[in-house]
Amino acid sequence: MKSSEENHTTQSIPLETVQESLYAKREKIYPRQVLGLFSRLRITSVFTLLGIYYIFPWLTWDGRQAVLLDLPARKFYIFGLTFWPQDMIFLAFLLIMAGLTLFFFTALAGRLWCGFACPQTVWTEVFLWMERWVEGDRPQQMKLDKAPMSARKFRLKATKHAIWIFFAAYTGLTFVGFFSPIRELCVNLWHFNASTTETFWVFFYGFATYGNAGWLREQICIYMCPYARFQSAMFDKDTMVLAYDTQRGEPRGSRKRGEDYKTAGLGDCVNCTMCVQVCPTGIDIRNGLQYQCISCSACIDICDEVMDKVGYPRGLIRYTTQNILEGGHTHVFRLRIFIYGFLLLSLFLGWMYAISQRSLVELDVMRDRNSLFKETETGFIENVYVVKLMNLDEHAHSFQITAKGIDGLQLELNQTSELKLVSGEILDVPVRLIADPKQLKQRSTDVSFQMQATDAPTNPKLTTVEQARFLGPITR
Amino acid sequence: MPSSPALTVPKAQKIMAVLWSSFLVSSLASILFFFTFDPQTALHLDISKMAAYSIGFFLFWLTTGLSSLLTLYFSTPLPQVSSSTHIDEL
Ligand code: SF4
Ligand code: SF4
Repeated sequence: MKSSEENHTTQSIPLETVQESLYAKREKIYPRQVLGLFSRLRITSVFTLLGIYYIFPWLTWDGRQAVLLDLPARKFYIFGLTFWPQDMIFLAFLLIMAGLTLFFFTALAGRLWCGFACPQTVWTEVFLWMERWVEGDRPQQMKLDKAPMSARKFRLKATKHAIWIFFAAYTGLTFVGFFSPIRELCVNLWHFNASTTETFWVFFYGFATYGNAGWLREQICIYMCPYARFQSAMFDKDTMVLAYDTQRGEPRGSRKRGEDYKTAGLGDCVNCTMCVQVCPTGIDIRNGLQYQCISCSACIDICDEVMDKVGYPRGLIRYTTQNILEGGHTHVFRLRIFIYGFLLLSLFLGWMYAISQRSLVELDVMRDRNSLFKETETGFIENVYVVKLMNLDEHAHSFQITAKGIDGLQLELNQTSELKLVSGEILDVPVRLIADPKQLKQRSTDVSFQMQATDAPTNPKLTTVEQARFLGPITR
Repeated sequence: MPSSPALTVPKAQKIMAVLWSSFLVSSLASILFFFTFDPQTALHLDISKMAAYSIGFFLFWLTTGLSSLLTLYFSTPLPQVSSSTHIDEL
């Protein structure tokens, strides 16, 4: 590995820095800009994902914010769907499915997620664009950092941080906008009367974005990412990995144009170190698969460019599988893929089915705590309950409550008006059940309450039953 | 092995290990806690729900963070004491 040390010196990184890195001090990484197939894919992905992030809170659906996680009201709106606390299981399964999807794609194509979809990568990419826009590409940035402080350096650094901070603050605002209606939030922030909590979270998330995408960058991937730690468990010899073709590349070395390098005993790698310079995590892919590699494919793009220039075939660094590198064949469709795929598909179908079958009403019956039962003037037994009705449908409905379980059981409401509930409304209704003591066989009798929409009595999703107990005196 | 400088845990890693692991656990704890207890009806707090959630989250983070810090502290390598060292030499 002598040559890799030479790389460092040719890149004019002082030797002290290299030695310090043995003591694990971080060396600042200046990824060089690269253009190519994969970087275009990443740009597309950045625009799509950040587009979703920044635009979704502004969309309206049915007169409300389309995506709103209303924590105080304990309901989550996601386009046409509304999730209530009792629907948490659906969200939990959504997370499980997201996890399985990640497993599936990791087994199939390695760390695709890291290089193209992870928020850390996506935001860092945008921060890198802004940095390059102000300070220039890698060589200019390195020169600027080495130069003593001057008016120009100060101006460039101040501009960069100002742009970063502005962008990060807007990111924080958008984040809070997923939890409290974003239009009101903007107006309130503008007039300095947003609540302390909201203001705090705008700053907190903004600060985290600035710190993670501006300063910490690859350290997040290396030290904080749980996925990076266990992804190797999902790999097998047929997983697509990004690798340097050692057989073809070595021995590496610089050469003169037109020289017959093969007779000179050289491989295809011209040792230009471009692959190291573009790497956002600062590693040398030629040292083999490394845990730090986020599969961003920047080194593929740049090496292909180098190969084009020197007139060698592309693909010295490429997506391949371990089986192919070892000279064998690879199978895309293998057991692991089938198992992940099958699990994923069945979970998804089950989830869709369960969502479509979900009950749209909710009924809760609580006994009045103050009295067990009461005897009426006419000698009947009365129990008092509070019935909680909930309409989880998108539309308003009128409801009717009935009770059964004892012969001749009567149900009386204090209010005579219709029980009309708008979407999402919860209504507490005091209810009295009156029974003839002759019908009571024991101290406690099971009764059942039924709630039914009067405008759609046959819709099973708008009907529900809840059990309760009716207490009476001990007879005989 | 622990004396080899290349294997020293970087400070950044230590800081992140403490802050991040406790952050994750406190997020989970806050979700479970506030899913069960409504700050206004169950805990009778006289502040907005968002404020209660946020304060709760940070209290959890403080607690889990202290625990992570202690773990870090207790998991540092012990000074090598050879078996022949006598107690009163220490
Ligand atoms: S970019 Fe390609 S040719 Fe240049 S050093 Fe890297 S592997 Fe070798
Ligand atoms: S080695 Fe290549 S793919 Fe891996 S992080 Fe570095 S540039 Fe990206």
